[in-house]
Amino acid sequence: MISPNSSDKSGIRLEHLRKEYGDTIALEDLNLVARPGEILGIAGPNGAGKSTMVKILASETNQTSGTITLNGAPWDPREHKKQVAIVHQEPQLFANLTVAENILVGIEKSKYVRPKSSQVDQNLLNEVGLAEYAHRRLGSLPLAIQQRTEIAHALARSADVFLFDEPNSALTEEESSELFEWMHKLAKEGKIVFLVSHRLLELAAHCDRVVVIIDGNVKVEIKKNELTEERISRELMTGVANKRASLTHAGKNTKDLLQVSDWKHVDEAFKPLELSIMQGEILAVIGVEGSGGREIVRSLAGFAPTTGDIAMQESKGSAVTKQVAFVSGDRSSSLFSNLSVGENLYVRLENRIKTKLRTLSQSRARAIAESAKSEFLVRAASIDTPIRSLSGGNQQKVAIASALALKPQMIALEEPTRGVDISSKAEIYKLVREYVSQGNAAVFYCTEVSEVFDSADRAAVVFDGKIKKILDVTKFNDAESLAGAISQATAS
Amino acid sequence: MSSNTNQRGQNFKQSFGRTAGLLGAILLVVVLFAITSHGLFLKPANLLGLLRYMSSLAIVGFGLTAVLITGEIDLSFGAVYGLSSMLSGVAWIVWGWDLWQSILLALCGAAIVGLFNAFFTTIVKIPSFIATLGASTIVFGVDLLVSKSNTLSPLSPPNGRVIPKSELKFFSELSNHVLPGGFPMQLLWMLLAAFVFWYLLTKSLFGFHLKAIGGNQVAAEFAKIKVRKYKMWAFIICSVAAASAAILDSSYISSMQPDSGAGLLFPTFAAVVIGGASLIGGRGTVSGTLMGCLLLAILANGLALLGSGAFLQQMFVGAVTIGAVVLDQTTRARRKE
Repeated sequence: MISPNSSDKSGIRLEHLRKEYGDTIALEDLNLVARPGEILGIAGPNGAGKSTMVKILASETNQTSGTITLNGAPWDPREHKKQVAIVHQEPQLFANLTVAENILVGIEKSKYVRPKSSQVDQNLLNEVGLAEYAHRRLGSLPLAIQQRTEIAHALARSADVFLFDEPNSALTEEESSELFEWMHKLAKEGKIVFLVSHRLLELAAHCDRVVVIIDGNVKVEIKKNELTEERISRELMTGVANKRASLTHAGKNTKDLLQVSDWKHVDEAFKPLELSIMQGEILAVIGVEGSGGREIVRSLAGFAPTTGDIAMQESKGSAVTKQVAFVSGDRSSSLFSNLSVGENLYVRLENRIKTKLRTLSQSRARAIAESAKSEFLVRAASIDTPIRSLSGGNQQKVAIASALALKPQMIALEEPTRGVDISSKAEIYKLVREYVSQGNAAVFYCTEVSEVFDSADRAAVVFDGKIKKILDVTKFNDAESLAGAISQATAS
Repeated sequence: MSSNTNQRGQNFKQSFGRTAGLLGAILLVVVLFAITSHGLFLKPANLLGLLRYMSSLAIVGFGLTAVLITGEIDLSFGAVYGLSSMLSGVAWIVWGWDLWQSILLALCGAAIVGLFNAFFTTIVKIPSFIATLGASTIVFGVDLLVSKSNTLSPLSPPNGRVIPKSELKFFSELSNHVLPGGFPMQLLWMLLAAFVFWYLLTKSLFGFHLKAIGGNQVAAEFAKIKVRKYKMWAFIICSVAAASAAILDSSYISSMQPDSGAGLLFPTFAAVVIGGASLIGGRGTVSGTLMGCLLLAILANGLALLGSGAFLQQMFVGAVTIGAVVLDQTTRARRKE
């Protein structure tokens, strides 16, 4: 959909890029151009295909179809690994080596001799401000220095493509602005710079263009002159279908189900808080990574060290957290890849599938799995299918269904629709809604406003370890105004 | 996604493929040894000896399989085997305990080692490789201390100690009793153990959860499966299995030797891994381990018959182990495609 000046051949051009993982289409038909000398921003919700694009450029995976050209010539990232530098949130270097040794990895002068730190270009070290750290072990240095080492590592290999993938989510403000100076410097030197980020303000402030990716396609390209945080936010929000109309909201039932008071994280990930969750509601806890929101949700299920009081119905303390079922946002820690779909569905159960002889009752277990499979519309050939062969959305349904099979009064879900296609998303929200309407409750940890808008009744806005405000989501008519209220709440 | 509607059938085919492969290998070596040994290999006495060796390997192997399924490793069972043999021997022959008390002591001693392994692995959280390697050395030290590095035999007790005839007979019959049809008692113990472990690993909820833990420990913790408790039981079961095999073997040879478990480590690992258990966890079966033990026992026996000498035997068994795992990995990859 982008038709950049076709006579200008410089830069990286992705054309009709498509990537399928089994049934899942991660990239559908992605077209974009990144030119030397500019910072190209990439925005998009989780699961939109950003990370797949990064992986292809980093040659961690290859596209199903489509072409990549560099300066007009076909270009295969796998053959030009050294040309591409990826700066991740977590530097992918060797924590056990010194800064200098890290820079030398891959460009050693000798195949046999351990490289001497003195072989590092002193000019380069001075230029990136790493001279004083050259002989320190990388693992002992702050993240910002580690990232700078990654940049130096790439510069030493004379890379021309720099991909910053959520690079500053764990940096302080000061460190971040230093990192952005680096990006501008690299761009000025004629490098191709990508910035993949969730932080819209930063995208607006530092990029020359921003491309919004939704469902594996470039939805829109925003040029410098129209580039504002609001504009990106609007494109992101409206890109995700608002299926909320189908939901029937709570409000009839206002009995408290669970209360916490003086609830405090032992390592201060969040400060003491009071919170009650009502029967029949979905409460979203929204906050960026590191805000403490994730820890709040985990703590309710007993997966964060806390002090304070928690009560649900008649139970108190750890008796409560034991009853709260939890599903991690990361499927690699919520599913068992060596088990079948059915086994994953009943793995959490005990009493319902146990016989008197402590054996697993196959007939009961399979019946439970079958009914969960059909109730959750899990698209799998049978319950004996290996879990790995399912698409991301269907895997996520299995993960959540396995928690609901416990029939808990309360579930805690992290980013319940991360990396999930739109139709599965709607189905997941609907099923969780049905579950809470039976007098139960759910608490979500969310990082996307659209998820909160689509699913929740109330939203607890978390910033810096504190619940800043609890918003009534049903009062908002569109995701944009909710987003506005949320950012207002964090700023206050 | 596979469009195959009969996934269950496919799963069955996969495990059947592996079983058939192992059976084929077993048949092949049987034929090979039968020919090269000019029929010596197939003599009943030889076959019975082979099965007896296999039975103690298998009992230890079942225990190891349980630990491997959880994704942990146990390197201490060889030392536990030695210690249990000595503990029962010293208590019975030197201290003058009753036989049943001595056996109970040996089993409890083994269970304590299992607890020790579980404590350092799941609570102190050091890798089980190190915890059980350390335990192995500690246990062997205790073994030497208890036995004063002497070999004991109930047939020649220390001066002044008289062992009741009935106990002596009972102890010897534990392994040496011959059932109708010439069926050796120790083989019956193995079949019994195989049944217990089959029930435990494939029928019980316990076994299902062990498999889940081995497949994804983080997910198991988030699913509130009691990972620590399950691992603790796996380690205890492994140690107690080794102790049981040790007692049966001491009964068979009527003696207790402090270093008797030293040679057990490799063949047991080899048999279990050939049988399809994964060192990463989440995979392992009783039938696989049983066949792995059979293959290994045949190899050891056949090579000894041919007079190939201990050195060649060592090299051969090592090569077969690596070969079996390589073969399994490549065919597994192909089956997946």
